[in-house]
Amino acid sequence: MLEHQLIQSTGFRNFGPVGAREGFAVRLRLPNYHGTRLSMLDGFDVTVDGEFFGHERNRLAIRDEVYTLDELRQETVRRWDLTEHASVLVDKAGGLTPGIHRIAVAARIRYSYFPPDVHVFMMRAERLGTVVMA
Amino acid sequence: MPGQFKYGVSVYSYTDDFGSVMTLEDAFDHIADTGATGIEILGEGQIEGFPNPSTAWLDRWFGLLDRHKLEPTNMCSWVDMRLTLSHYLTVEEGAAELERDLRLAHRLGFKFLRPKFGVTSRDLIPETNWEAYVERNLDLAAKLDIVICPEIHSPTPINHPVTQGYIDLIERTGSDHFRLMIDTGIFQDRPLVHWGSHQVTDEMREHMAFLNGIAVDPEEFIGIAKYVGFVQAKFHDIDDELVDQQIPWRPVISAIKRSGYSGYMSSEYEGLRAPWRAIDQVRRQQVLLRQLEREYDDGGFA
Repeated sequence: MLEHQLIQSTGFRNFGPVGAREGFAVRLRLPNYHGTRLSMLDGFDVTVDGEFFGHERNRLAIRDEVYTLDELRQETVRRWDLTEHASVLVDKAGGLTPGIHRIAVAARIRYSYFPPDVHVFMMRAERLGTVVMA
Repeated sequence: MPGQFKYGVSVYSYTDDFGSVMTLEDAFDHIADTGATGIEILGEGQIEGFPNPSTAWLDRWFGLLDRHKLEPTNMCSWVDMRLTLSHYLTVEEGAAELERDLRLAHRLGFKFLRPKFGVTSRDLIPETNWEAYVERNLDLAAKLDIVICPEIHSPTPINHPVTQGYIDLIERTGSDHFRLMIDTGIFQDRPLVHWGSHQVTDEMREHMAFLNGIAVDPEEFIGIAKYVGFVQAKFHDIDDELVDQQIPWRPVISAIKRSGYSGYMSSEYEGLRAPWRAIDQVRRQQVLLRQLEREYDDGGFA
């Protein structure tokens, strides 16, 4: 099962070849109270130890698929179920050092039933997370 | 004596717990143990593999209904008006979304479907196509015997063009498969401290004044009661003395009882999302509502 909080402990790790890491992943539970079409997600801003990584460049890995922001915005069939996790992939040469980091995520969710000025709603969360492997 | 309420619980009450510290089996257990007879769900939420659940999931669903003696009440759905940043649903596409959810709700045994339509203004005027989506599905709703019930939800009050627009459709079509759902959050008369998982900040109060409560006069329920199919008993915080901190239940129950409404009161907790908190909050509301109904029936208040 998922952890209660948005940002999950497990899944916070580097990706890419060992010794030449390309970035890191932050695993999330769905930042919404109901399952969601991928096109209703408008990306994820990630900040780690004060370094900001904007939603325009971050990708989303769900099940066996990886979506860029443009691909996410166009995906109207596939969905993120309420009880599934997915990971935000952030490019960062060398990845993160093993140890404890402060992670903040702003998930940008679109609600058609919110007034136009808040169609994109920011679901924010922040916590400490631990990268285990270099 | 006026009609008696039926009591239900929405699994939405357990948001954040569901899928982390609570399974579907747990949710059924918690709901049935309150003495409720009905279960309300979020279609795209509790149904694994929505909109095409597996036969294994369907078996599980019907097995749970049977074991816990609960009946499906309302299924919540959404019509994603702005499908992508540049593509707004056509009438055909929107009607197809509603049809899909009607058929799924029927398959699971629900009697009500609450579609959430897109809105185009701050006071939640629905997109103009909503009427066409509904009209194209009224015959199907009748055939499946499901009542489509859009929600009157804060900040939309009862006396408002949105509510009137829905009533106009009922009057114009004569359909008894389109009704209003009333969310009791419209009666909230004191400010929220927590709104679901969000601590309410000054900035949120500025942009979303309804978080302080729009305090609709409960008496207004009486005038529209004949159009109401379902009541979501929204609440946020009931203290250790069984006092609700935001919803004035005594005048609300009085008005709903006097209106003759005898449908579901479906608990919908939307307060602080601390793990497991919702479970007992729902129990508190169920006892509070039942006590008030009994007291009203016994002539304890009018």
